[in-house]
Amino acid sequence: MKELIIIFISTVLINNFVLSYFLGICPFLGVSGRIESAFGMGMAVTFVMTLATAISWLIYNLILVKFGLSFLEYVIFILVIASLVQIVEMFIKKFSPSLYQSLGIYLPLITTNCAILGITLFMTARNYNFIESVVFGASGGLGFSLVLLVMAGIREEMAYADIPNVFRGAPITLITAGLLALIFMGFSGLVSS
Amino acid sequence: MSIVVISILVLGLTGFLFGVLLALLSRKLKVEEDECVKKIIDILPGINCGACGFSGCSAFAEAVVKKRDMFSGCIPGGDSVNNKVKDILGLSSSAGAVRRVAVCRCGAREGEKKITNQYQGPLTCRAADITGAAIDCLYGCIGFGDCEKVCPVGAIKVKERKVYVDVNVCIGCGKCVKVCPRGLFELIAFDKNTPVYYVACSNKDKGIEVKNVCSYGCIGCGICAKVNDSPFVVRNNLSRVDREKTSSVNALETAAGKCPTKCIIKSNG
Repeated sequence: MKELIIIFISTVLINNFVLSYFLGICPFLGVSGRIESAFGMGMAVTFVMTLATAISWLIYNLILVKFGLSFLEYVIFILVIASLVQIVEMFIKKFSPSLYQSLGIYLPLITTNCAILGITLFMTARNYNFIESVVFGASGGLGFSLVLLVMAGIREEMAYADIPNVFRGAPITLITAGLLALIFMGFSGLVSS
Repeated sequence: MSIVVISILVLGLTGFLFGVLLALLSRKLKVEEDECVKKIIDILPGINCGACGFSGCSAFAEAVVKKRDMFSGCIPGGDSVNNKVKDILGLSSSAGAVRRVAVCRCGAREGEKKITNQYQGPLTCRAADITGAAIDCLYGCIGFGDCEKVCPVGAIKVKERKVYVDVNVCIGCGKCVKVCPRGLFELIAFDKNTPVYYVACSNKDKGIEVKNVCSYGCIGCGICAKVNDSPFVVRNNLSRVDREKTSSVNALETAAGKCPTKCIIKSNG
């Protein structure tokens, strides 16, 4: 149990995928304009990440390792992720068309979200067992959602701020992201191994 | 050897299983799309110019199915598209959209407009306009072709720093109107059979100052306004065509002929 809590806290705060590994920057900058769509994106990524780690773990340990095919992990993981994203896309299109509209191109782009491929590869590199992997996946997704929501909140407020002309749009967003990454560095002493 | 066979088998089988799963789910989770919307998207030009006020052709198609009375909203498509849209929606009234084309109200070529400073900066009109150094006339066309780049159908060509609009190609989307930092473009109603006249100058300074910077520009002499039945009005030292006034082609032609700087231009298909 203690290990699981450590995995959770370290993945959400200390080794946050966006702000300390700098993975998944594309949706982080693209969908953080409004809190509503940021929440939807965060939930979609969390769902895909959790399922992807679970299924990837099963395929990796039960099939690939058994036949000595662990070099196939990249291809298989991408296959799993791509299929899951397709399923999520179909679900969202069916049950929430407005969310589907606001996520736009970023929804199929979860397929190539490096944070998700990253999390499955970290999982095999760190030799997690099944439960640890699922917790790792879920907390990775939650960490992503947390950062996305914080960013969306800041950007919604920033729309009313008096920003100098040259900084409007992308520059101020990148500066904000950099400051957030600095803040998240402050968590680095939280768990001492 | 066997590892190759096994990897092919494993990869193939996993791919096949996921494929079957996706196929089954896609059948189960199918979203019914409105047939009408699909048909209208097929008919619309599909260049997503945004002249209708929506983000693109598909957004317009969805909106038009819900609010039927704006069936004539597609400006580039013109009557032929609008009539087809109307047929799909089952409407029968016959109010068509007026076709509009863009004209550039500066017709001076390089050499006609005076250029004293050597501008060295980004070659876009918007950047050059901030410095005010690209050409001497503060109203006229800078001629770096921002409008040429933004035109979705390639109707605008810039040669010798003068803008040429091909009215047969122009769809009247108004993108050039927005991009021109000097506001030179104007959308005017256009009919293939009657020529359109416009004053190709925007300089509001007095005649002598216009002469100092350009040999082509309107000096506000008012000769065109004195012609019988003339639609031209001179305001702020600049002649303009009052589009509210109706007038004979004859009067327009005489006025254009009398213009001492020949900056009244006829444009027809």
